[in-house]
Order: sequence, then structure tokens, then C-alpha cells
Amino acid sequence: MLQLRRVTYTFDVPLALLLLLTLSLFSLFLVLPLSFLILRPLTGLSLEPFLDMLRYPYLSVPPIGEWYVISERGEYKLLRLLGMNFGVVLNTIFIASAVTVLSTVIGILVATVMARYDFPGKTLLRIASIMPLLYTPFVGAFVLYKIFGDGGLIGSLMLSLGLPVAVEFAGIAGVIVAQTIMFWPIVYLNTMASMLQIDPTLEEQAENMGSRGLSLYRTITLPLSLPGIAAGAGLVFIFSMEDLAAPLAFKVRDVMSVRIVENILASGNIEELGTEVVIVAGLLLLMALGWFFAVRHYVSLKQYAMLSRGGRWKPRVFKPGLLVSGLIYFVVFPLVLFSALPQIGVFLYAFSESWRGTLPEGFTFDHFVAVLSDDNVVRGLRNSVIYSLAALVVIVVIGSTSSYLVSRLNLRGISALDALVMSPLAIPGLSIAMGLLVLYGVLFKDTPLDPYVNPAFLLVIGYAIRKSPFTTRAVFAGLQQVHKALEEAAMNLGASRTRTLFTIVLPLIGLNLIAGSLISFVYSMSEVSTSITVGSLNREQAPLTYYIYDYLTSGYGGGAFIHLASAIVALMIIVQLAAIVLSNYVLKYRYAFLGI
Amino acid sequence: MGELVLERITKYYGQFKALDNVSLRINRGEIFTLLGPSGCGKSTTLRVIAGLELPEEGKVYLDGEDITLKKPYERSTAMMFQNYALWPHMTVFDNVAYGLKMKGYGREEIRKRVKWALELVGLSGLENRFPLQLSGGQQQRVALARAIVVEPKVLLLDEPLSNLDAKLRVRVREEIVTLQRKLGITMVYVTHDQEEAMSISDRIAIMDKGRVVQVGTPKEIYHKPTNFFVATFMGRSNVLRGVVKSVSDGLYRVALGKASLYGMAPGERPGIGEDVVVVIRHEAVRRALSGEETNVLEGTAERVSFIGLALQVKVRVEEGVSIIGYLRGDEEVEVGAPIRVAVSPEDVKIYPFSALED
Repeated sequence: MLQLRRVTYTFDVPLALLLLLTLSLFSLFLVLPLSFLILRPLTGLSLEPFLDMLRYPYLSVPPIGEWYVISERGEYKLLRLLGMNFGVVLNTIFIASAVTVLSTVIGILVATVMARYDFPGKTLLRIASIMPLLYTPFVGAFVLYKIFGDGGLIGSLMLSLGLPVAVEFAGIAGVIVAQTIMFWPIVYLNTMASMLQIDPTLEEQAENMGSRGLSLYRTITLPLSLPGIAAGAGLVFIFSMEDLAAPLAFKVRDVMSVRIVENILASGNIEELGTEVVIVAGLLLLMALGWFFAVRHYVSLKQYAMLSRGGRWKPRVFKPGLLVSGLIYFVVFPLVLFSALPQIGVFLYAFSESWRGTLPEGFTFDHFVAVLSDDNVVRGLRNSVIYSLAALVVIVVIGSTSSYLVSRLNLRGISALDALVMSPLAIPGLSIAMGLLVLYGVLFKDTPLDPYVNPAFLLVIGYAIRKSPFTTRAVFAGLQQVHKALEEAAMNLGASRTRTLFTIVLPLIGLNLIAGSLISFVYSMSEVSTSITVGSLNREQAPLTYYIYDYLTSGYGGGAFIHLASAIVALMIIVQLAAIVLSNYVLKYRYAFLGI
Repeated sequence: MGELVLERITKYYGQFKALDNVSLRINRGEIFTLLGPSGCGKSTTLRVIAGLELPEEGKVYLDGEDITLKKPYERSTAMMFQNYALWPHMTVFDNVAYGLKMKGYGREEIRKRVKWALELVGLSGLENRFPLQLSGGQQQRVALARAIVVEPKVLLLDEPLSNLDAKLRVRVREEIVTLQRKLGITMVYVTHDQEEAMSISDRIAIMDKGRVVQVGTPKEIYHKPTNFFVATFMGRSNVLRGVVKSVSDGLYRVALGKASLYGMAPGERPGIGEDVVVVIRHEAVRRALSGEETNVLEGTAERVSFIGLALQVKVRVEEGVSIIGYLRGDEEVEVGAPIRVAVSPEDVKIYPFSALED
């Protein structure tokens, strides 16, 4: 009763409507589809699809294949790392776990160096370590294949150094290497943000009590950084599970993401969609949620969307000793520079005539010309822009409403709203796509909402839901800097809550809203999961990222397909860079948003 | 216009009871001050009046109308915030005009009223400045103008002077009083500064731990504190431990170690043999006249400090019993010399010992 009185006292009609709109959007296009995704296979009256999960290709025990193969190649030996095939489900879990562990180790190492040491070349390192976050849909993984895969650069490099062994990665091993390189900066940036937020006096107090060096690090620094580490590791696990690029590049079909996408692309209507891939998408969702709940104790989603501005205080920074210097220049530097290779490689592909041997050859603008005069690409680009703009309208509404409510209303249950609107960051996009597909494909068959007829609408909604957390967080950060009394003063002088929102709050946080919107827009433009699944169902309405995928998988565009795809992605990188620089400038963030 | 009644207000912040059964009656046209240490609930009381906090229990009446469930923007209460809460994206004019716009006044009317309010606070000519271009004192006046321009029934001021320097504080508070008298508006004023409260208020409510512990005029509060908290909160006092030896006619004899004093119990009445605390203001302790015998304490001067108008002396009466008092500034006292001090029985206030544990 008291709670009800509080609610009616707090809300006015427009604000209540805005909340209702936000809740309906999230219910209709996130909660319901995902529930349907889990429940639908259970209502199929058939155990068969579930039993399929225990058979090849979903389960393969004992595993097939070899961990590695060594072959004689005349003067040298070729070590080919493969990884065994345990079946779709176990492969996905194995890859995600391995990538998470590796990324976490590297991420913590680099974060420690960056947060605690000052050394020549640090700026270069900082820039290079953020490079991998520039999103290179699909193409980045193909560059990594060129480097680590069959006859790749690494092998050639080892031989040219005179080593008797050349190493190359293929299959699951290759996927693990590629994903680690793509994803470790997520752990790094989150950990770094945590480390910069540690009050230096906490470490100084420990030092004062005799703790130093590694023991100080182990007992104080690391535990206090745990929220960042857990957040980063959580995201990496989820990203790895739904990543499509690395398995495609290294020709691994037996992972969940590839199965889902291939099956959707092959289906002409909802009946042709195999129940077993619906189960797989549900499983993907449950695994992501399970993992998230496992680490939730350490993580608040607040840290997901963007990194807080580090350093409210002057952080502790040291000159490295000899040992640490060695670590920095011989381990951290190569590691970080190496990780920027996909982005560099995209430009090499985009501007080179061919790249068959070890190094790319010839310089040309032809790929850009070819891409921009391709009707499909131009239409895809136009579609992407329209969808992203439409999504942005929705994003601005739900982003401002939910962050305002969460930051200003002291009501029970408001944290649930917070969790709901931030949850898309932790939910695999492929599960969302599949959920939308089955719910609206089945219940709204042959209506304008049917994704097989008219995917554009669901794409817009999909973009809005998936990319809104960036705006929500940016607005939230702005609201935290606006003193509550400024709004109270307005209400005190006769302005309703909604009026206050428009005359006081929005003018004050306008820049945050713009910056957040910019990021949401750019990530909508480069969105993959719903774009290549839902978006592919009607070619006329397919967005740009679908055509990148199409170039790479169908050999569309002839032998130059990687060069053409790279040209598109190179353009996307430039747009992303501009957006990130601009919004960082506006928001004064020290670090970029996480690229998702 | 502007009679405000709070009836048994209780307010929780989570588990924390910020207001505990607070009842107040604030008369129209008076300056009523809520005084207490930080965290006592005085600001919360103000926010409940403004509608910025919804109390769990109790009612708020303004001119007889129950406004408990009225939203902040539906009440005729204007508040001046501690940090002024001036909108940085609006000029002085727009800040002051905001409330009038919300009330739907016409352009010309708004211009006239804003001009009037700015003249009243002495800020004419600064209409087009932004808040960040103003000094602290000027910002304070804009906030005041913004609150009075809407002609509220009740003006609420939340520590309005705390961000000003000491000299400006005294000047501005005089101005606020003058303004209030001129407008005849009911004013509720929150402060933790007792001198400020004493100098401006018609009546004061002392608050402690979410409760109102005493309401009265500044003189009543100062001279007749009904409990230990008020007695020690107002002014500087000696707090001594004693035992009641005898009572007659409301006059208590209390033993402080070997010595004893006569005093009064303004609040709860302790019985004979009961442990009590004795509160004596520093300025009530004076040098005893020669031949004076009643309520005299003999001891040695333990510490002597010259503080301008007076000489502050700490007199050690016996082990564990010391008392601070004031002598005239031109008197001479040597540290270690014997000295006799006296205090009138009405200045010796006795409270039950349990008050100390509160």
C-alpha cells in the first residue's frame, strides 16, 4: 500500500507512459522471444531433437581428429596445431573457456603494466591496445587466418629466422588463437578501469604495514580489480561463444554459432528451421546466462557498457625496474602490437592488388571503387543507415527513460529495470535473433511482422534493443553529474517531472545523449548477429554487414572477395574511429567504449 | 496565509528512521528555525514540507489543507537549496522566471515580476549573466529571488548561508530577515549554526536523532533547555557528574565530589540519591565576591587564557572536578593560584544521568 502510494506520488502520466513503452519493448522483443526460444522445443511433443544433441555433430565423444600433426617438409618440420572435435556443444564451451583464460591472463598483465608503470612508448602501447576494439566484422578473423593459418606469416617468419620448425594453426586451435587476439583487450580495458579506481591509500596502507611487490599485488590490487576482471572475462566468454568470424576463417563448422547461422540462411520459411538449432540457440542463451550468474557476485552491469573515467585521484605509477622493463618490452609490446594486426591487415587487404604470398602486393583503390559501385552493397549501406537511424530514435527514448528512472527514483524494483535494460550486453545476439525469428515467424506468419516476409522491422528493433545499453550508460553517467537539487528546484517551482526532464535534465546532459547515440549508431551499423540471420531472409532488405558475410562465404565478387570485404570494413573502421574520438572528446572518457 | 502544521511525521530512508513522530505548528508570518546537528532530520523535515520526500506516516497541512500527497509542483512552497541549485544553462533572468513560466504568466508580467524580485535582492542589471559568472553571494541572492518571485505561502531555506564566508553570512542573514518582514511570508529556516538561529528566529525547534526535542523562542531555548541535549547543544557548558543530596521547593542540592551546588531540574525530576549530570554554562560561572558563601566552589586556577573581552579560567576544584568560567578581561589570575568561583542556582541545570547515555 505504502509502496503503491510512493509509486503514484513519484510518477506523472508522461513518465509512466515512457516507462510503459520501454517495458513493452523489452518484453515483446527480448523477454518474450527468449522465453519462446527456450520453451518452444519443449512443446514439440518429440524427444528426437533433444536426442540429436547427444549425437554427432552436436556431441562427439570420443573426439575426432588430432590435437596436432608434425610433418617433414624437407629441411624443416611443420607443426600443425589442430584441436580435437568434441562436437558442436563441447567445442563451443571448450573454445570459449580457453579463450577466456588466455584473454584474462594477457588482459591482466597488460592492464597492470599500463595502470602501474610509466615507461617510454606507453602512449603507443595505449593506442595499439585499443585498436583491436575497432570492429572489423568477419574480415579481421580472415587476416588472422592469413597470419596464423595454413602457410601463414608466422610459419614463414619462423623459417626465415632459420628455425627448423614452422608452426601453423588450424581448426579449433586457430579459432582459439584468433579469438584471444580479438577479445583480450576487453579484459584489459575493464581491469584497467578497475585498477585506476582503486584508492591509492588502500595500497599505501598495505605498504605501510609491510606488504610490497607481488604480495601487495596479490592481496590488495588484484582482489580490488576483480569487478573489472570478472566483467571482462564474462564478456569474452559470451563473445567467443557467439563469434562467427574466427570459425568461418579457420573453416570450423562444428560450433554453435556457425550451425545456427547456416541453418537460418538455408531455411526458406519457418518450417524449414531445424528444431535442433533452436535448441542450440537456447542452449547458447542458457550458457551465457549461467556464466553471467556465476560471476554476477563480482560484476555489476554498470561496468559493462563503458569504462568509467579512471583516476579521480592521482594513481600510483612507478618507473619499472629491470625485470619489469624486460617484461614490458619483450612480452607486452609484441603481444599488443600483434593484436592490432587484424585492423592493419584490413587496410592492407583493402588497398592491395593481391595477397597470395607472404606479403601483399600492389597498391590500388579499385576495391573501393568496385564496392561502392556494387548495387547490392550500396543498397545494403542504405538499408543499414535507415535501420540504424530508426533504431536510434527508439534507443534515445528507452535510453533516456530508463537511465533517468534508475538514477533518480528511489523505488524498490528499480534495479530490476536497470538489469533488464543492460542485459542485452550479456545475451548472445544469435539467441536474440533466433528468439525473434521463432516467435514472430511462428505467431505472426505471413503478417508484416513475419521476418521471412519483412525482416526490416525486427532488424530495427533488434538493433535498438542490442545497442541501447551504450546510450543508456552514457546518459546515466551524465545524470550522475547533474545534482539532484537542480531538478528538485524546478519541481519546487511548479514544473512536473516530465517538464523538468525536458527543461532541466536534457539540456544539461544533451552532450552525453549525443555521444551515447553516436556510439549506439555506429555499433548498429556494424551489428552482425541479427543482421546476417534475420536480415538475410529478404535480400532486398539485407543490411551492409550481411554483404560482407556474403562476399566472404559465397566467393561473391570473384577471387578478390577478401579485398572487397576489407574495403567495406576499412570504411567502417574510419567511421567508428571518428565516432569514438568524437564521443570521447565530448564525454571526456579516457577510454573507448567496448566494441560489441 | 502560510500556517503550516506537521502532524506525527515519520520518514524512513531504508532502515534508517530519519524522522520520528515529528509534530510542529508554524504560525503564519513567523521565522521558524529547525536547528540541530547534522543528521538530526532538519533538512528531511524541510524536504517533507516541500514534497520532495514522501513520509511513511503523518500529515502535512498548509492553511488547513492536507497537502501530504500533493506533489512538489502542486504546493505553494518555494525552497532555497543549500547549494543554490541554479541551473547553469540558464541566465539569471531565466532562472528567476522559470517558476513564473510554469505558472503560465504572460511575458510582460514575467518581466515585471523578475525585475521586482531582482531589485528586492539587489541584483538589478545582472539579468543576462549565467550563474557561473556570479560570485557566491550573488548566486545566493539569485536563488532567493527565484524562490520569492513565485510568491509562495511558505519560504523554505536549507542552510542558505553555509556556502558564504563569515562576514557575508552575517550581512546576508540580516537582509533575509528584512526581506521576510517586508513580505510577511512564513519562513522555515534550517541551520546547524546556533548563533544564526538565535539571531533571526521568532521560534526555534531543536532536533536530535529525527525527533523534535524542544520548541520555543530563542530565549526560552537558551535559558530553559528542557533536556540535556538542548542544554549542551546551545552555547558552551561545563558538564559534571553529581548525586542529588536533598530537594526542597524545586531547589536541588547536588554533591560534586566533596563540594556541592544548588540547582534546578528544568526537565525530568530526579529523586534523592540519584546520579545526575549537571550542566553549567561557561558564562554563568563568575568570580565569587568576598564573603559570598552559597554556591561557591574553591579551587586552583589550572589554565588561564585571554580571549579578548574576558579571561577564561579553568578551575580545578578537586580530583576529577574542574569547571570553566569567565572573569573580566582586565582581572589578573596566576596559574596555580587559589580562586573562588560562584554560580547562581538557576544557572545550574540538573538532568537524569541517563541523558548522558543517549
